[in-house]
Amino acid sequence: MLELDDLTRRFGETTALDGLTFSVPDGGLFGFVGRNGAGKTTAMRIVLGVLAADGGSVRWRGEEVDRAARARFGYMPEERGLYPKMKVAEQVDYFARLHGVSSPVTGELLERLGIAERAGDHVESLSLGNQQRVQLAVALSHDPELLVLDEPFSGLDPLGVDVLAEVLRERARAGVAVLFSSHQLELVERLCDGVAIIEAGRLIAEGSVRDLRAQASQGRWEVEVEGEDMEVVALAEGQDSQGLLDDARGRGHIRRFAPHEPTLAELFRGKLEAA
Amino acid sequence: MISGTQAILLVARREIIVRGRDKATLISTLVTLAIVAAVILLPSLFGGTSTATVAVASGSAERTVQAAAKLEKAFDVKVKVRQVDGDAAVRRLVEAGDADAGLIAGGQRILAAGGAPDGAVPALQEASRRQRARAPDPQPLAVQTLDQEAEDRQGFAAIALIILYGQLLGYGIWVANGVVEEKASRIVEILLASIRPRELLAGKVLGIGVVGLLQLLVIAAGGLVIGAASGEVEIGATELSAVPVLLIWFVAGYALYACAFALAGSLVSRQEEVQTVTTPLIMAILASFFLSFRAVGDPDGTFSVVLSFIPISAPLVMPVRMIADGVPVLQVVASAAIMLVAIAAMVALAGRLYGAAVLQTGSRVKLRGLMSR
Repeated sequence: MLELDDLTRRFGETTALDGLTFSVPDGGLFGFVGRNGAGKTTAMRIVLGVLAADGGSVRWRGEEVDRAARARFGYMPEERGLYPKMKVAEQVDYFARLHGVSSPVTGELLERLGIAERAGDHVESLSLGNQQRVQLAVALSHDPELLVLDEPFSGLDPLGVDVLAEVLRERARAGVAVLFSSHQLELVERLCDGVAIIEAGRLIAEGSVRDLRAQASQGRWEVEVEGEDMEVVALAEGQDSQGLLDDARGRGHIRRFAPHEPTLAELFRGKLEAA
Repeated sequence: MISGTQAILLVARREIIVRGRDKATLISTLVTLAIVAAVILLPSLFGGTSTATVAVASGSAERTVQAAAKLEKAFDVKVKVRQVDGDAAVRRLVEAGDADAGLIAGGQRILAAGGAPDGAVPALQEASRRQRARAPDPQPLAVQTLDQEAEDRQGFAAIALIILYGQLLGYGIWVANGVVEEKASRIVEILLASIRPRELLAGKVLGIGVVGLLQLLVIAAGGLVIGAASGEVEIGATELSAVPVLLIWFVAGYALYACAFALAGSLVSRQEEVQTVTTPLIMAILASFFLSFRAVGDPDGTFSVVLSFIPISAPLVMPVRMIADGVPVLQVVASAAIMLVAIAAMVALAGRLYGAAVLQTGSRVKLRGLMSR
């Protein structure tokens, strides 16, 4: 489990992180959601040690994160970075070695990501989508225990999204903790077991997507009676859902009766308004 | 996790492989070799009719020289006379290289500088023989060739200077560009997630430096071969000892300047801005280069001596002085010690500021802002 504990970070006058706390469990996909400038990238860079925190701590499996622990993390920064004039396989090899892998298995990895036939090409000659796959290969090159991916899905076509999602699920099943940020909330909703929503450097919601949605639905039901539009009805004082159902039944044939669970996107907007 | 040394070696290895494979490395080696070859060979290729200044101290000697001047066509040399007072003055002029030859002992002996134009001495001999045509069995004049080594060594020092200048400047700029490449592509984020900034810096400087040193070796060896094959340079102890001097001072100068170039590069985020931040360093090398030419002609002058102790100019001036004339051991040791202190300070400074600067993208990072943190 990765734990971010009360992280603070200021840049001059701006407070980027203001006591951010949440944790990412092993063996699952964890979404990191927030507006631009909310502090996601700063938090990720602190986890990777690229940036120092002004306060707070980062723990991995209960221990304060140090260089030895970070050598087992895989990172894909938001601004993609590869050596344009280096061959794909050499590049992935290089980063594996920098992470302490003495004999990298780059071939298999490129095979899995569907870019094996480009192994000998210069990175700059690849399409952006394929460059992104190389970037992912770099993050995965040393078989990390934790993956931190900043906007890994941005710029991918639907097929690319599927490949990446499947690779990440595969890693999660193997016990890897995967933390990734994304603005594509439907994707986060579909893929993630847990999410953290942050705003202005603070956590405003954390938990499993299902729990958060159920929580947000409290006392609101979607009712659709034949011949009428669907409406969202809040339970009246002292009323339970059965009472609501009876009322609706009195109006006609019921086509739909369900708790009103907002999508993650709706939830996100609601949380932001509340914050 | 890998150790610091492993990290440095991995980074250096990548630099060596990538730079070694880069066509630019091969091209710059060939261009530098071509320049060296040109400097060595051009004087004899474009020789044509050269001019020899002959110093004289007596009227009869002057007449001999004037007669020799009329033989311009036959010996392919223009002869000019220069009158001075006394044989001692003639000898001084020739020794100083201000005259190519001199006639002394009332025109009975020839003093020749080793570097005198080829036809000069035979022309003087022929002129003298004709003047003495009526004398029974005129013997050729006695010829004394004055040691020309000083001039040889100066020429050699000038070539060494040009090579050294090119290497320092070229590889310094490579380091700056390499740093900016990593910063601009943000690859530095991934690198610094696994290794320390100073390991990245050290590996980069080391790797590019090894390529620079190997290239220098190839150029030096190539230069010696070209010189020897063309007969323009006699390979002796002076020439061979110049090679280690060149290599050692390249390493010292490169260590100092490469760290400075790396630091400069870490301040900017775009390749287009490299020029702006590296200009002061390029100017420092350029200024040292031009000032070093004074050291070629006057290796022991106060000016040259002072410059050979200042770390900015020492990597160019000191080897020039050493090759042109030889420098007291104490001075070499003192200059090297100052150089080492300067390198240590620059490495410490770059090591401290580079990591902070290289992660600050966007507008140009101010050095002063970094220092105060």
